[in-house]
Amino acid sequence: MNAAAISVENLSVSYGAIKALRNVSFTAQPGVITAVLGANGAGKTTLLRTISGLLEPDEGSITMAGTNITREKTEDIARRGLGHVPEGRGVIGEFTVEENLRLGAMAAKVDLKAGLAEQYEQFPVLGQRRTQHAATLSGGERQMLAMARALIAKPSVLLLDEPSLGLAPLVTVELMETIRELCDAQGLAVLLVEQNAKSALRIAHHAIVLHLGSVAANAAASDVAADEKLRQYYLGLAE
Amino acid sequence: MVSIKQFIANRPTSARALATLVATIALLGLAIIVDPLNDTYLATASIMAIAIVGLSLLIGLSGQVSIGNSGFMAIGAFTTAIWAQHHAHFPLLGSMALSVAVSTVAGIVLGLPSTRLRGPYLAGMTLAFAFAIPPFIQSLGTFAGGSGGLYFPTLQTPAWFASAIGEKDNPLAANNTWGAAIAIVVAAVAFFFMANFFHSRSGRAMRLVRDNDVAAELVGVNVARTRVLAFAISAAFAGLAGSLLAIIQSSVLPQTFGVALSIELLSLLVLGGLGTLGGAMIAGLIAAYSDSIVSRINSWTGIDPVSNLGGSLKGIIFGLILIATMLLAPSGLAGLGHRISRFVRSRVAQKKALSVSETP
Amino acid sequence: MIDLLTSRVMGDIFLGVTQGVLYGLIGLSLVIVWQSTNILNFAQGAMAMFATYVGMTLLEHGLNYWACLAISVAAGFVLGGATERVLVRPLYGKPEINSIVVMVGFLGILEAGAIAIWGGTSRMIVSPFSLSYFQHNGKTIFLSPFAILQIAAAVTVMLIVAGLFRFTKLGLQLRAAALAPEVARLLGVRVNRLLTLGWALASAAGAVAAVVISSGFEGLTPTNMDVYFVFGFIAAAVGGLESPLGAVLAGVLIGMLQQFIVDYAPPSWASFSPVLILVVALMIRPQGLFSKQRVRRV
Repeated sequence: MNAAAISVENLSVSYGAIKALRNVSFTAQPGVITAVLGANGAGKTTLLRTISGLLEPDEGSITMAGTNITREKTEDIARRGLGHVPEGRGVIGEFTVEENLRLGAMAAKVDLKAGLAEQYEQFPVLGQRRTQHAATLSGGERQMLAMARALIAKPSVLLLDEPSLGLAPLVTVELMETIRELCDAQGLAVLLVEQNAKSALRIAHHAIVLHLGSVAANAAASDVAADEKLRQYYLGLAE
Repeated sequence: MVSIKQFIANRPTSARALATLVATIALLGLAIIVDPLNDTYLATASIMAIAIVGLSLLIGLSGQVSIGNSGFMAIGAFTTAIWAQHHAHFPLLGSMALSVAVSTVAGIVLGLPSTRLRGPYLAGMTLAFAFAIPPFIQSLGTFAGGSGGLYFPTLQTPAWFASAIGEKDNPLAANNTWGAAIAIVVAAVAFFFMANFFHSRSGRAMRLVRDNDVAAELVGVNVARTRVLAFAISAAFAGLAGSLLAIIQSSVLPQTFGVALSIELLSLLVLGGLGTLGGAMIAGLIAAYSDSIVSRINSWTGIDPVSNLGGSLKGIIFGLILIATMLLAPSGLAGLGHRISRFVRSRVAQKKALSVSETP
Repeated sequence: MIDLLTSRVMGDIFLGVTQGVLYGLIGLSLVIVWQSTNILNFAQGAMAMFATYVGMTLLEHGLNYWACLAISVAAGFVLGGATERVLVRPLYGKPEINSIVVMVGFLGILEAGAIAIWGGTSRMIVSPFSLSYFQHNGKTIFLSPFAILQIAAAVTVMLIVAGLFRFTKLGLQLRAAALAPEVARLLGVRVNRLLTLGWALASAAGAVAAVVISSGFEGLTPTNMDVYFVFGFIAAAVGGLESPLGAVLAGVLIGMLQQFIVDYAPPSWASFSPVLILVVALMIRPQGLFSKQRVRRV
């Protein structure tokens, strides 16, 4: 049997007395974009941070390609091939574009030169700005840099936390298309956390809706998009 | 029982004055009873407690770390000593007041950068200040005694005091008791001031600035002035302690007031407990008795006190205590006492609750 | 040319630079530690002293000068790393006062411990380089072979550190760990190891300064690194605590200034005038003279 890229079982996480995630279970498959949707405070970011090992779960387990990674160190999980573009992108503004990319390639055993060339081909604007400090980039360019920095390590799983945040609608459309292309071309398992449910559902294959830390829906993206109740109650999408 | 609580709640200042008075009388009685050696310890304890409670205000209440209060103690001590050089019978209160004034000015000057510096920068700067003061005093030449320090006539015990305590024929014992009495009374006044200050408007403003300077600014607290005020008061207390030290020892040496003294003050403060009056008192006592405690340890363990290890034992113990306190019990001995009393009280309350529930 | 080299001004500059590079080295150590962990290491000088005493003890068993230097630097490296692991790690995320108090306590332990083990008197490592100044036609050039070694050692350490941070993979990871620890971990950087390494490197650089001091005129005592810590801190703070080059430059400036004061003003002023410079410099530019960053709100 083929193991799922990421498999989460009965995951519960709390901040002190506050339960942020309750009994969350789902799987993410290679070559599939799984959108993680829900309102503010539904536990989307908490879910990604727990998968990455930045937060410790109270209960439950996380498996990556058949290996249990629950309570492993963040850096070890990253080295197993998990790319995580955090909320706010995490671009290091004091570094140049190329230094950011080099940092991304460092922990992985990949050819730096070929990796850089590949990313500059995928994101030509980064190639043009390779010696600029990342702080000087626009929001969209930073998002591309953050993604390129994760991709250069050839991950098998990519976690994206609110990539569209702060981007203009046109840029968002372009970004989503890029994510879909990457997923299709490289067979990546993508977990896409989005507030902007509409654009996420447009490219996702599968969707999970979180509500107050629990899974409210877990279905094909097209089904979620078609479900009037879900759209109204949890996603704030009215016709 | 309830009436005492009401009295404290309704007239806090009077309650504090009464508590101070009772403590002072008790300590004075103690000073009269104990032998001359313990009188010296009581004096040292009072003096160190004054310096430490001043540092406690700065670090505990206003959140600014100083490793420079030995410098202010030096300024206070030398102000008094220089005054004493020029007046055979120098007035005690006058010289203390002058010392306090001079060190307060120094505190304001050193405190001014604190309005712009934070944390480690500030701590480092005060350390540099502590480091610079002894050579600065030496550079003043004969005026301040150079590196040999200043010596001046010992404290004169008034005849009435000697006869009152029945030591008319023993001037040495009378002198020691008189010195301890002065230190105790001055410390009492200083602690009374500090107790009131902790609960005053300015004291609350300091706490607010420490916890959140932006919020403090929003509610109309002058953040810069509050920070400098903390430095000024802290320096004034250190200066007062220095002045008393000079008076009691009738000599001052610049080397006494090196960085090591600042570190000792900080250690004692942390050990006693930051930002509490009780902690400062405990710390003062530890300061006074630390040498004799260490010599006890020496004799228990059989370490030769004049060997390398014997001589540095105090420093090692202080350092270990400092680190252990900070890593294991950051609220110090006062906090530990507080925790124990709370634990006991909650146990008692539990028992009471149990016995109440058991009665039908 | 020779007239210039033997002139009073050049003499002051030579002596000042020779002394100032030592402040710069300690300042450099402080900057490395500050950048990686946001802690001001009050025990930096004492750690360097302790490491050098370890090296010296081994030297007394017949090792040569270079071996002693290497052992002292290695001891500094180990001591720095161990300090981070044991004492500093529990301090991350705690109030600033905690780290200040712990490092001051460690300073006390190291100094008292060194007195306990080795005694309080000054010790020297005799270097193969002469301490006497060059002479030319009866005139003195205030440089000695040892002074040249001293300056060269400081410049070498600075170049190694700068090169490491600027041009190597390791340096990139060290800087990332300091600037954005969480992001670095998400990229697979082993941040905890790097913080240990940062402390170890800083402490090794400091040990170079202490070895040089122990071979100079004054020798090494358990407490005479205090002076170098204070002036090293002033150098680092004037330079902005963020800038390794700034710390070294400021250290050299302080050394020269002291030398000019010794020569032209009452010599005792030299020991406290740097403090005035610090106060004035920080009043004018609280973020440091050589720092590009805005002042950090702590």
